[in-house]
Amino acid sequence: MPMSRSAGLRAILARLTGIRELNLVLVLALVCGAVTLREPRFLQAANLEQVALSATLVCIVALGEALIIIARQIDLSVGAMVAASAFVSAEWLSNHPDGSILVVLLIGCSVGAALGFGNALLVAGLRIPSIVATLGTLAVYRGGAIVYAGGRQISATILPDSYGAIAQVHVAGVSLLVWLAIGLTVALGLTARFTRTGRNLYALGSNPAGARLAGIDETRHIAFVFVLSGVLCGLVGVLWGARFGTVDAVIAPDLQLQAISAVVVGGVSIFGGSGTVYGAALGAVIFAVLQNGVQLLGINQFWLQAVVGAAILVTVIIYSRLARRAERAERHSRLRRARPGAGREAGP
Amino acid sequence: MTRLSRLLVRWEAFLFVVLIATLVFGSQVSPYFATSSNISIALASMTPVAIMAMPMTLIIITGEIDISVGSMIGLCATAMAVCLEHGFPVEAAMVVGILVGTLAGAVNGVIIVYGALPSLVVTIGTLALYRGIAQIILKERGVSSFPDWYQTIGFGTIGATPIPWSSILFVLLFVGFAVFLHATHWGRALYAIGNNREAARFSGINVRRTMLGVFVASGVMSALAAIVLTAYLASARSDTAIGLELPVITAVVLGGVNIFGGAGTLMGVLIGLLVLAFVQNSLGLAGMTPEEQKIVTGAVLIVTLVVFSASRFLKRPKSSN
Repeated sequence: MPMSRSAGLRAILARLTGIRELNLVLVLALVCGAVTLREPRFLQAANLEQVALSATLVCIVALGEALIIIARQIDLSVGAMVAASAFVSAEWLSNHPDGSILVVLLIGCSVGAALGFGNALLVAGLRIPSIVATLGTLAVYRGGAIVYAGGRQISATILPDSYGAIAQVHVAGVSLLVWLAIGLTVALGLTARFTRTGRNLYALGSNPAGARLAGIDETRHIAFVFVLSGVLCGLVGVLWGARFGTVDAVIAPDLQLQAISAVVVGGVSIFGGSGTVYGAALGAVIFAVLQNGVQLLGINQFWLQAVVGAAILVTVIIYSRLARRAERAERHSRLRRARPGAGREAGP
Repeated sequence: MTRLSRLLVRWEAFLFVVLIATLVFGSQVSPYFATSSNISIALASMTPVAIMAMPMTLIIITGEIDISVGSMIGLCATAMAVCLEHGFPVEAAMVVGILVGTLAGAVNGVIIVYGALPSLVVTIGTLALYRGIAQIILKERGVSSFPDWYQTIGFGTIGATPIPWSSILFVLLFVGFAVFLHATHWGRALYAIGNNREAARFSGINVRRTMLGVFVASGVMSALAAIVLTAYLASARSDTAIGLELPVITAVVLGGVNIFGGAGTLMGVLIGLLVLAFVQNSLGLAGMTPEEQKIVTGAVLIVTLVVFSASRFLKRPKSSN
């Protein structure tokens, strides 16, 4: 059956709209366009930089969360890990004003890695369901950070200027933090797509029993993603202090919800096995634009949470519709291939 | 050894030992712990969490979850506050609160059941949505024009006895939920759905209607929790019960309900609630800050889970023989 030109185009179009990340870029463009129409200041460089910076921190956390959710787990303790590592690293820097930034990064990431290892021990080692285990560590880590801090706040006046300067460095006109987030997104995206570890995470997420039978070491892989999430949270903890200048133990109180929302809106299935870290990064950017748009348009701040909630609901409903349609189409074409006669009869 | 591990495996028995240990610890910490007024305080402060833990148990047994409980309470409290601001009597406000809670639970249920969507994601969405609506309506106002009799729902006691009114409400609800879950075929249906949804459907259970029912129940209970909580705090605000989902889920999991559905009892959840209430109360008496109490509560959850999984490991070689 020769395919007509328009049918070929339609097939290409269907293929393109099937790529979730492209849809997300489209949604992002629409949201940006809508905000710009009402308030042209949105496109000013200074404002765009603010949007990018606020997306950056959530984005890096969402990358780790995306890999965890792809492997059919969840990490509710990310906000607590960010707060703990931010406070410990800022405290070290306030005691060692001449300390190198690299050492601070090392300290932050080590604290994050240690806390992530705690999660890994419970989830991968003792096989406690991750939603429960990280609910417990959320309380322990957050409480521990608050008790350790003892109500202290480490502010920009105590911290050396070199710390805040991290957030001021620009490469090719774009903040170093943004480059860092882009670099991490691409690196983890490639890791998930092309390395054996990455593919194994998808396998564990879509069929844990099958993956185990295929010889994938579940314990090691699950432990790896939880430690990775901890390290990324540690990094964000250090950057948090650099960006906001003030650190205490109660920062990032609902970061886990923001990160999970970004991951879900980014098209990662909450049941694991599908989605990409690029989508999660785009999800973080979309939320940052929404937040900025609400501020710029002078909409009452109280509306922000309702807008975010509605956005989550709308996207999951659309995704499930798309997924079901794709599933139906696949079943249909499989049927056609299996029974060519039946397929021709049912064809146009 | 076998007997010990078998006893450990019976979660409620193990939890009961933890409860006794908590009570012993509490009375060691402070001579004030074992007084009737202190126990009354400990129970009254736990009631909103306890009320929400019952529908949460049903939801988790069916293999779903409801993260939006705190926001539903906030929305109900906001609805009641608006009614009071417009001069309606508090009874009317309570009715409106229950209607709003029912509606909020029904919205959750309809989206999850008829959209066939994951409850974790949907209720994260409505967590933000309901809290957002509450904030839009009430902004930063607090309404505290409750009559005196209303506040006794929160921490008043029956006559001269130390029994709080809110505990009576809880006990009545608990008996209702326990009979429903453990003595009716509707309750058995929840376990069947949690164990194998497809099989439950083929055995003639109306899975969709049942699922819708448990989410609506969560909404109705959130209105009752909102009434108790606003009475306890003597004020209704848009940020009422923020973050309540964490202690509620903690209590249910501590009570031995399988987070993946299909197993658990309300008796276990009741003991879990008592453990949490008395741990927090005795730590408070010991002069610990709320943050330190939070660590211990999280640690109690983790340690019980670790002990339970360890007891499973002990059992494994025997069962393979």
